[in-house]
Amino acid sequence: MLRDAVRVLADERIAPRAAEIDRTAEFPWDVKELLASHDILSLPFPAEYGGLGGELLTVALAIEQISRVCATSGLILAVQELGALPLLLAGTDEQKQRWFPDLAAGRTLIAFALTEAEAGSDAASTRTRAVRDGDDWVIDGSKRFISQGSVADLVAVFAATETSDDTPRHKRLTCFIVEKGTAGFGVERVEHKMGIRGSPTAELGFHGVRVPDANRVGAPGEGFAIAMRTLDRSRPGIAAQAVGIAQGALDVAARYANERRQFGKPIAEFQMIQAMLADMDAGTEAARQLLYKACTEIESGSPDAARWSAMCKLVAGDNAMKVTTDAVQVLGGYGYIDEFPVERMMRDAKITQLYEGTQQIQRIVIARALAGRPD
Amino acid sequence: MHIVVLVKPVPDTASSGERLRPDNRLDRAAVPAVVNANDEYALEAALKLVEAHGGEVTVLTMAPSGATDTIRKALAMGATRGVLVTDEALAGSDIRSTVLVLAAALAGLEFDLVLAGVDTSDGQGGFVGPGVAVKAELPYLSYAAKIEPKPDDRLVTVRRISPTGYDVLESPMPALIACTQALGEPRYPSLKGIMAARSKEIVTKSLADLGLEPEGVGGAVATTEVVGSEAPPARAATRVVREAPDVAAREVVAFLAERRIV
Amino acid sequence: MAGLWVLGEVTPEGTLARISGEVATFARGLAAEAGQEVAGVVVAADPSAAAAELATYLPRVLAVSDPAAAERPWSFVAAERIAGLLEPDTQEFMFVGAGPDGRDVAGSLAALLGWGVLANAIGATWKDGGPVVEMSVFGGRLKTTSRFTGPTGIVTVRPNVVTAEPSGSTGKVEVVEAPVDELRQPAVRVIDRVVEAGTAAPIEEAKIIVAGGRGMGGSEGFKLVEELAEVLGGAVGATRAAVDAGWIPYGQQIGQTGKIVKPQLYLALGISGAIQHKVGMQTADTIVAVNRDPDAPIADFADLVVIGDLFEVGPALLAELRARSG
Repeated sequence: MLRDAVRVLADERIAPRAAEIDRTAEFPWDVKELLASHDILSLPFPAEYGGLGGELLTVALAIEQISRVCATSGLILAVQELGALPLLLAGTDEQKQRWFPDLAAGRTLIAFALTEAEAGSDAASTRTRAVRDGDDWVIDGSKRFISQGSVADLVAVFAATETSDDTPRHKRLTCFIVEKGTAGFGVERVEHKMGIRGSPTAELGFHGVRVPDANRVGAPGEGFAIAMRTLDRSRPGIAAQAVGIAQGALDVAARYANERRQFGKPIAEFQMIQAMLADMDAGTEAARQLLYKACTEIESGSPDAARWSAMCKLVAGDNAMKVTTDAVQVLGGYGYIDEFPVERMMRDAKITQLYEGTQQIQRIVIARALAGRPD
Repeated sequence: MHIVVLVKPVPDTASSGERLRPDNRLDRAAVPAVVNANDEYALEAALKLVEAHGGEVTVLTMAPSGATDTIRKALAMGATRGVLVTDEALAGSDIRSTVLVLAAALAGLEFDLVLAGVDTSDGQGGFVGPGVAVKAELPYLSYAAKIEPKPDDRLVTVRRISPTGYDVLESPMPALIACTQALGEPRYPSLKGIMAARSKEIVTKSLADLGLEPEGVGGAVATTEVVGSEAPPARAATRVVREAPDVAAREVVAFLAERRIV
Repeated sequence: MAGLWVLGEVTPEGTLARISGEVATFARGLAAEAGQEVAGVVVAADPSAAAAELATYLPRVLAVSDPAAAERPWSFVAAERIAGLLEPDTQEFMFVGAGPDGRDVAGSLAALLGWGVLANAIGATWKDGGPVVEMSVFGGRLKTTSRFTGPTGIVTVRPNVVTAEPSGSTGKVEVVEAPVDELRQPAVRVIDRVVEAGTAAPIEEAKIIVAGGRGMGGSEGFKLVEELAEVLGGAVGATRAAVDAGWIPYGQQIGQTGKIVKPQLYLALGISGAIQHKVGMQTADTIVAVNRDPDAPIADFADLVVIGDLFEVGPALLAELRARSG
């Protein structure tokens, strides 16, 4: 029922905007308002703070349906969940009370700032630093490739605080919530991207940014662990985006193949097209089922959460790239021009193989889980 | 106020997949079921009334056991609870059985009003409202365009659509009212409503729970039966006119003249 | 008395409702085929005029006068009185118009007597001692044939299924006083009857309907529909989208949640022909549509479709029709 309700909303109100969002590369504030007013942004938040207390699967279903018509729009919900996860996992009641009601209502947006120019896959080598000064911390550094970093009201920032030489790599970081408008915090640039062009990807600068200790999330040195646990729960959101993109592309390709006639019949009757469409459908369904399974496993506290999370994102991302590329192929020349949405979907799909951990990182996570398995 | 709304799950007409089983009964498994469109208007009217007067809405359904999904949709709109009367012996029920069972179910519920849609998209008869009213010995007010309860006086006033305008009817409560679309567009379930519906109560009742014998209801004692079916004769192929408006208009008039309509 | 019965409905002016003439014609034809008797029954505070009119269709009419029929909702009074007239354990079938009042009577009567109902007959024959009724289901995709499993039943008949045809002779009217005993029905009172200016005649009875949909763009756009209806001498209809948008009252809505109509001509402007609307009008004798979209569903089942801008084709059609009627 929830899937249908979001689907109808996506088809009627978001789909007509998708091409324009991509063309203008402007953040779709109207879509954000739409999602907020329909309580969709409140899905990840607990009921006591005004949220709907939705489980991972519920949030994934919503992201999938929105992404089917517009990957940028699907990302709005995914990023809201991603940015809020450190607080959901490690925030105090006071912090949740302070920030969740506005986030759940969609009045404020939150982003997740871990990546740096020199710390991507190697997140632990973060150089942004936070130094204790009385009751505050002072943050200096810069973050890169932060999804929605320029439109967010709050940013969950990971900075190195434990810098003595004998601190293990993965115990150096601490998580802080930085509010927009804090002196010294600003957007240095917004990238021009291949895809998800309506979602602003920002470089954030921190020059002597002072935050109270009350904005620290979790214990000092716990930041990296929080980030990893966050990603375990947020990767399904990206997998959902990828499944949605793939389904959207498949729908366009299938419809086109039934209508386009060459050599006297619809091209859907030619076996090479049939084979492509069949593989696209089977691949997307497999990715979808893995995603749903991963969501229920992670939600129920599986000790294998990292493996499930990495797997669903790996499979869904690769599938989305393949399906969208094939969708362009099915449409032939028409697939390459913007008269049809598949070229946009192909450009959008690529990011699902890159962010929240590249596909290579996902494989490392899975391999490590495999190696660590007791017999 | 306590309002019971009669809700029927029907095959989704938009699917165009409805069909009969080999035994000529409606195949309720062929396409997903949705809440009968006219019942949504009754449900909306009930929700508006409890918003104005306080109270709760109970959805009452007689259907195969899978109908809990459809009832959840009604709960997502805002109804408080559902009651599903389901029993294998009820398969193939005609109007007589349906009315008997629904009236028996109502006997076990407390209510000020029972609201129903004027008809169903699968039966299209319009007989359940008046039939249940007779069997449950409730006053019956039909084709309501406006419902105004006066809870303190235990009265309800209804505007009934008439060929010339409307009649104003007054009745003691409890009463059964058949609702028209004029009462207002049904709300879309909000996400909040959808999430809340998951934990709302649906009570299941069997014939035994209602004190009814299986021999008295269902397909075995149906008063009507379908004996055959066929596709209707196909309409002749559509004539497509793409000319400029003036020429097209002349063609249309000539066509109508051919058929002696003008 | 065994046989076929016809319910005569009474208009606010006291005359016979149009649909009752049609149902009488329908039942009379079936009675002739079956070799059965057929009679009419009218229940009203003053049934005389309607009964006399019904007698031009049927050989015998019972005119039941009951003052309660004016003070209470008519349908339940009629159902109770009729139930009192019918004898148990005989073979009897009741034919009723499938309008709001008729359906209420049919539903009440069915529950009072425990009879079955077959709704919306489009045709009937007689077989093995009972009517075999044809109905159109699944949005017109299928025609079913049904019968009663016992010796009794009620059949409802939609408007325009047959044309009303007087029998050519005048039947006998028997006056029946309603019994003095109290009606069973809990007391619902009619406290006012309000006539609203501009209420259209029941659209189900119209021979010609001009209907507008979402494509009309607004209540201003609907003026075109009204003008075309006027020049054709027809009624104005609408889709649910137009009614929901407030361009036209609900009483003129055609479709799954509105009325089912079977006019001689259905002229559809700016209507896509989605299934929820289609079920309301697809048995019309002639369907003409004007639509900008050649892929609209209505282009598949209309008899003639003009692909074009309805705000150009519509006025051209209006001009052509006006010129023709001089």
